[in-house]
Amino acid sequence: MAPKKKAKASVPSQTLVIDNGAYTLKAGLVSNEAVDLSYDDCSVIPNCIARSSRDKRTYVASELAECKDFGELAFRRPVEKGFIVNWEAQKAIWEHEIMGADAGTELWCEPKNTNLLLTEKPNCPKELQKNCDEIVFEQFEFAAYYRCVGGAMNAYHSAFLGALPQECLLLIDTSYSDTTILPVYKGQLLHSAVRRLTVGGKLLTNYLKELSSLRHYNMLEETYLLNEIKEAVSFVAPTTQQFSKDLERTWKGRLGDKRELDSSIVLDYVLPDYEQSVHGYVRPHDPAKSRMRRGLQPLQGPREDLLPLGNERFAVPELLFNPADIGIREVGLPGAVIEALSGLPESLRVAMLANVVVVGGNTLIPGFMDRLEGELRTLVPSQYLLNIVRADDPIKHTWLGAARFASRPDLMKEALVTKAEYDERGSTWLGKKFAGGDR
Amino acid sequence: MPHVEVLPNSATQIAPGWTYVVDTGYDPSKIAINPKNKKRAAANPNQRGENELSSRQQTAIARRIAELNRDNDPKQIISIPGKTSIPKTQNARRIIQYQRQIKHWLDDEEAQLALVQQAPLPRSATTASRLAAQPLRRTSTVPPTPSELTPAPAAPTPNKPMSSRMDLDDDPLLAIDSSMPLPISQPDLDALLSAPPLSYAASHVAAPAPGGPPQRHFCDNCGYWGKIRCLKCGARVCGMECKDAHEATRCLKWT
Ligand SMILES: [Zn+2]
Ligand SMILES: [Zn+2]
Repeated sequence: MAPKKKAKASVPSQTLVIDNGAYTLKAGLVSNEAVDLSYDDCSVIPNCIARSSRDKRTYVASELAECKDFGELAFRRPVEKGFIVNWEAQKAIWEHEIMGADAGTELWCEPKNTNLLLTEKPNCPKELQKNCDEIVFEQFEFAAYYRCVGGAMNAYHSAFLGALPQECLLLIDTSYSDTTILPVYKGQLLHSAVRRLTVGGKLLTNYLKELSSLRHYNMLEETYLLNEIKEAVSFVAPTTQQFSKDLERTWKGRLGDKRELDSSIVLDYVLPDYEQSVHGYVRPHDPAKSRMRRGLQPLQGPREDLLPLGNERFAVPELLFNPADIGIREVGLPGAVIEALSGLPESLRVAMLANVVVVGGNTLIPGFMDRLEGELRTLVPSQYLLNIVRADDPIKHTWLGAARFASRPDLMKEALVTKAEYDERGSTWLGKKFAGGDR
Repeated sequence: MPHVEVLPNSATQIAPGWTYVVDTGYDPSKIAINPKNKKRAAANPNQRGENELSSRQQTAIARRIAELNRDNDPKQIISIPGKTSIPKTQNARRIIQYQRQIKHWLDDEEAQLALVQQAPLPRSATTASRLAAQPLRRTSTVPPTPSELTPAPAAPTPNKPMSSRMDLDDDPLLAIDSSMPLPISQPDLDALLSAPPLSYAASHVAAPAPGGPPQRHFCDNCGYWGKIRCLKCGARVCGMECKDAHEATRCLKWT
């Protein structure tokens, strides 16, 4: 934790907590000594600016909810690979949602009277951290500020005041940008053991888009739609053996030896037309209908476009477990967990395995947790306790941990840096302090 | 309607009154590629043993993964609507005006580390090329002892241990039913707690160990097992039908 220092001027009693993800930002205002914080205190907001070439409208962050035609919608995301890269866009989004006149009442705050707790992904390049710190104090002028790796905040979920952080926590965060494994000791990230997997939700969506565009329609401009389809149809095969079986069941066969597709796996996704319908839906595969594709449908009356989905349903999320399937030279998630642990002494490994928490949107793919636990079980000797759980709300969980941290004056007093300190000592000093370098 | 175009290889070829739109939306070869990648891939040809990939194939794979992993499309300019606050300091103005992408920052980080090490660039500066085209980074199988983890500048090629089941299996101290594992000593713990973060590139997990399950190959067209290799580009297909489709669509697409 941060070092003891001379008593400093008192800081505001409210803290803006932002878990600033690439896909969505999670934000909420937390007051000093708040006791009953919950997921309900967290707003989830698209962290993007979207431009429609159809209605010629630009949607900033939460305005996306007003969009009725996601066709060819283009996105600008300030966060790349999990790190805030484009401050022009990030600033516009924060101002729109938090500091601006149009911000909702739940989040609106005056930075000069507010602390900021901002989470980041691990292994952020120092130059980007410096940019972030300078913008926070010089542009937004927050009263005080703490920047930390979000995953580590999950050690602070204990509900009662004065509670110590969990001694050992192995956090797996599988989200939009990538998948990270974070061993946390008494609330502190064990940096040298952090490991990262390239595969995240973004890559899965783009992979599904690539496959669908190769096999059925050119849908390369339809990122929003493909993300919806991914969320609607994906599942993780329970084992590699079952993966092979499912691959057989979804194969069309050879010329002259056509096979019946297994209708318990193959689905048709009825694409939205963005006139009558804004969202598509899933129904069982109908071979007759899917042969009658666009060009054959009547010009009058209802017409529909079907996207049949077979092995795409499970071969796409399989990349989390077998990145090598598309040539990514990395072990899958279970192996990555073992690699992270192998850099730790035995006593910590044992304790980490007994408390594995999984967060992030990819955990919502059906079958994900069973496969992860099953494969981890085979990698960890059977006599060892393996306790692995998915957070109740894997999207908001890191935010809630950070919010609980922010509600604790004892912790915040040590962590926060005031604007006056920054003005006096500068961003290089601040970077070192947040990295724990002034111990 | 979403923007969907029926592809030439689909079943509607004979549909009356239907005109095709040639698929022009996606041409990764037009995206600027770091010329370094090619050289590096060529410098490490036969790294995969049984699955020898030519440098051209490796470049193709790296390019495809980079495309799948891209955050923003540099060709797409979306300007900020409405009024936003003006920059308050020179610093803020400079930072807000940056239009660099993450790739540039990560390249900078690697270059900085290389400078600190007083050594030539340790690996291809872009992550994507490294993913597909680099040899195993970690040659040591000896786990670092905590005392080796004393604070030091973040090394670009840390000795990270290979993972395997044996790491844990061989260790009787891990057993729940045996005596408690030796508690970690305070100096070791302190060293661990003060170890600096790895660089972004170094934080990625290792490639599968050579002795593990063989890489699976899938049909480039339909996703079933890829039993036949395309002689032109090295991609796999499941049979003649998909081979024809492959040659009509994706063959050599990524090279
Ligand atoms: Zn095939
Ligand atoms: Zn080919």
